[in-house]
Amino acid sequence: MAGIRIQEVTKRFGNLVAVNSVGLDIQKGEFFTLLGPSGCGKTTLLRCVAGFLEPEAGHIFFGDRRVDGIPTHKRGVGMVFQNYAVFPHLSVQENVTYGLKARKVGASEQERRSREALAMVQLEGLEHRLPNQLSGGQLQRVAIARALVIEPEVLLMDEPLSNLDAKLRVEMRGEIRQLQKAMGITTIYVTHDQEEALSISDRIAVMDLGNVRQIAEPWEIYTRPADPFIAGFIGSTNMLSVEVLEQKDDHMVAQCSGVLFGVPLLEGIVPGRRIKISIRPEVVDIAAPQDWLPDSHWSLEGRIGRIEYLGSMVKYEADIGDTVKLLVTGYNVEPMNLRRAGDAVRLVYPIKRVLMFAEDAP
Amino acid sequence: MRKNTFWNLTALLIFIAVIFFLVIPVTRIILGSFQIEEGGAWTLKNYQSFAAYRTYWRSLTNSIGVSLAASVLTILAAVPLAFVVSRWNVAGKSYIIALSTIPLMLPSFICAYSWVILLGRSGIITGFLQSLGVPFTSIYGHGGIIMIFSMQLYPYVFLMTLSGFNSVDESIEEAGRSLGTGPVKTFIKVSMPLVLPSILSGTLLVFMTAIENFGVPMIIGEQRPFLAVQAYMEFTSDIGQHPGMCYAISVVLMLITLSSLMAQRYYLRKRNFIQSARGRPLIKQWHGWRRRLATAYCFGVVLTPLIPFFVAIVISFMEMRGPVIHPNFSLDNYIYAFKHSYRPIFNSYFLATMATLASVLVGVPTGYILTRRRSGIGDVLDLAIMLPFTIAGTVLGIALIVMFNTGILVLTGTWMILALSYTIRKMPFIARSSASILYQLDPSLDEASISLGFSPMKTFFKVTIRLMAAGIVSGAILTWVTTVSELSSTIVLQTPGWSTMTVEMFQGIISGEMGVANAFASILIVSAIVPMLLMMRFVRGERASLF
Repeated sequence: MAGIRIQEVTKRFGNLVAVNSVGLDIQKGEFFTLLGPSGCGKTTLLRCVAGFLEPEAGHIFFGDRRVDGIPTHKRGVGMVFQNYAVFPHLSVQENVTYGLKARKVGASEQERRSREALAMVQLEGLEHRLPNQLSGGQLQRVAIARALVIEPEVLLMDEPLSNLDAKLRVEMRGEIRQLQKAMGITTIYVTHDQEEALSISDRIAVMDLGNVRQIAEPWEIYTRPADPFIAGFIGSTNMLSVEVLEQKDDHMVAQCSGVLFGVPLLEGIVPGRRIKISIRPEVVDIAAPQDWLPDSHWSLEGRIGRIEYLGSMVKYEADIGDTVKLLVTGYNVEPMNLRRAGDAVRLVYPIKRVLMFAEDAP
Repeated sequence: MRKNTFWNLTALLIFIAVIFFLVIPVTRIILGSFQIEEGGAWTLKNYQSFAAYRTYWRSLTNSIGVSLAASVLTILAAVPLAFVVSRWNVAGKSYIIALSTIPLMLPSFICAYSWVILLGRSGIITGFLQSLGVPFTSIYGHGGIIMIFSMQLYPYVFLMTLSGFNSVDESIEEAGRSLGTGPVKTFIKVSMPLVLPSILSGTLLVFMTAIENFGVPMIIGEQRPFLAVQAYMEFTSDIGQHPGMCYAISVVLMLITLSSLMAQRYYLRKRNFIQSARGRPLIKQWHGWRRRLATAYCFGVVLTPLIPFFVAIVISFMEMRGPVIHPNFSLDNYIYAFKHSYRPIFNSYFLATMATLASVLVGVPTGYILTRRRSGIGDVLDLAIMLPFTIAGTVLGIALIVMFNTGILVLTGTWMILALSYTIRKMPFIARSSASILYQLDPSLDEASISLGFSPMKTFFKVTIRLMAAGIVSGAILTWVTTVSELSSTIVLQTPGWSTMTVEMFQGIISGEMGVANAFASILIVSAIVPMLLMMRFVRGERASLF
């Protein structure tokens, strides 16, 4: 078991820079996720680590061993693929022992280890089934058992859950997380699903256009995104371009199309500056007109436009002024408090939860 | 060592082989067509002669005319059949499809010859028709050639159009209907344009196979000139005197096939309808006499082309004196054929087996490189293996003789040159079919195996080959079957010791020894049908265990 060090790795396809001088330091036993939209380079980077692609520049280390230049079959990686890649001509057991055979493990040892691996993924009793007799979830379990049974130095997972249905996906990601912690195996996990990434990872690297935009723990990625792209990509948000008007004791006032917003103080941001602000929909509350409001909160008058009722939550789109629209998410909304389109509402949010970015940030 | 050394090396070897055994011989033909004789001065005289002499000019119009007519006729016969089989509830669909593939497996000149027995000048049916006063003379001539090509080659159009019709999703037609076009108009406006590329692909195969055919015009063309025949004639009769003329005819033939192939590629490039059929098309449920009539129609169409083969087998058990049939049961033809020499039988089987093995050994890795290792050399290879599709058998035979007559590798007159020509003609087929299997195999299966510790080479043998096995075996059987019945390059390359069944049969027909010809024809038919039946069983069994 070893950590993974990725040093300034660059991978080009013709003129396209798929991975642009990326450096990552992944701790021993860490569950590390590469998150980003399709085409961001996350899979390319994973395939460089696996050895299916050779980077044009940079180095990759497993612990102290430099692995770039070493062919995949000698790298000692376990890999789980998006479409399972379970060998259709081999039984469950033969799939699991496949990698052990490559390592010339003795027959009885093969038997023991494959039994353990199958027990780990709860597939006991299905040893002699052929893959066409298994469900999607079972196939993915075979793929995981097959990757883990060889006790790889690192485990690489390429969108392993994207072909499963929503419910199974949630179930499986819990199991993967548990297995990974139990074995303490260093893991790189690739996904475009931000909720999956938040739920499963120790740390996340958000990628876009071949660059790493932020590396942080899930809570930090969500609450302190490094730039507007991340704020928009992870969760939904209200991204507004505003001009700072005046500075008060503990906050500032900014203006967007005639609507005034309270934003926190920030060094270097002075009246006259244009900035981008991000307000998460769940940060905004709908308050009654008579409610008392602490100074730390900001209040806006608006009117409900569209409503999306989702059971556990309600999503509103409120019109403020003539052109500004604000997404508001209400959780645990009592039926009597449900708003209708056209209702006049008072929207409040804690000023310090507003995120601020430079005007020209992406 | 980089991880893909194995594949780079393989690609390079295949590439060198293609250059040496295909590109250089063909180039020599092309260069030779600009010389009166080997090593002579450069000249356009051969082409001037081609334009000036009526025989050459007629061979061009005959070849193109007959092939085009056969293409049109196959469309008329095969497209309605494909529609009915795909969209109506006719009985015995799998039998209809299986029966339809048989003509492709059997040599066309057997078909031609059997029709001569039935419809020749003293044919069985001709006599009957004339006794009824019908003014029918014989099958000889353009009409007969067109009919035989159509009967033999319609499966190309039928099978491709059938899969086209099968993959037009019901919902696409329903969408058309819901937007206000009636069923007939929807068919014309929506379904036909989607199926048209399949129809044209099949038709191109018909055209290219027909224009390179040697046996049929030789047997029932009656001295009418055709390109493939003319090239052979110039080569055998005038050898050493006007080889340049033979090369020029070959080049003309190549230009026709090459340009039709290019035209098709150009047409298809803009019409690559990837049809992700979720549901099968709606099948019209007929009942009673309508269904029976439709079924009878389908079986009628697929059984008619099989009549000549049936006739050939029956007649082979009859007593023959020269070309005259006596209606008594007899094994004399077989006894004579075996007594005469068992060599042709052995030769045919031996050569087909060697060529099939070589085609698989080269073709499967080629298919792998085409799909999985696309870069530089792979693109060139893709183009290079298109070449054999455009080269007529006789032309290839001539090219190989010229190339391997002298020089570092002398093969002319040996069995190897025959096996080589078969391999060149069939390897691209194996490569293409391997590539199409591989397109359907998920590449991450290979990657999974590599990540688990097997090198790319071992992975190829442990995973890829196993998953391709069923497809490779059926491709190999098809190769073997069609190689056994190959005539057009064999007739050029054979030497007395390495004559094949097809050559013996052909010479029997030409010299009027019908009994021997019939016996060999029957052996050939059985040699084609038995492996086919085995393959159907094998493939079905394999599917059950694999998928």
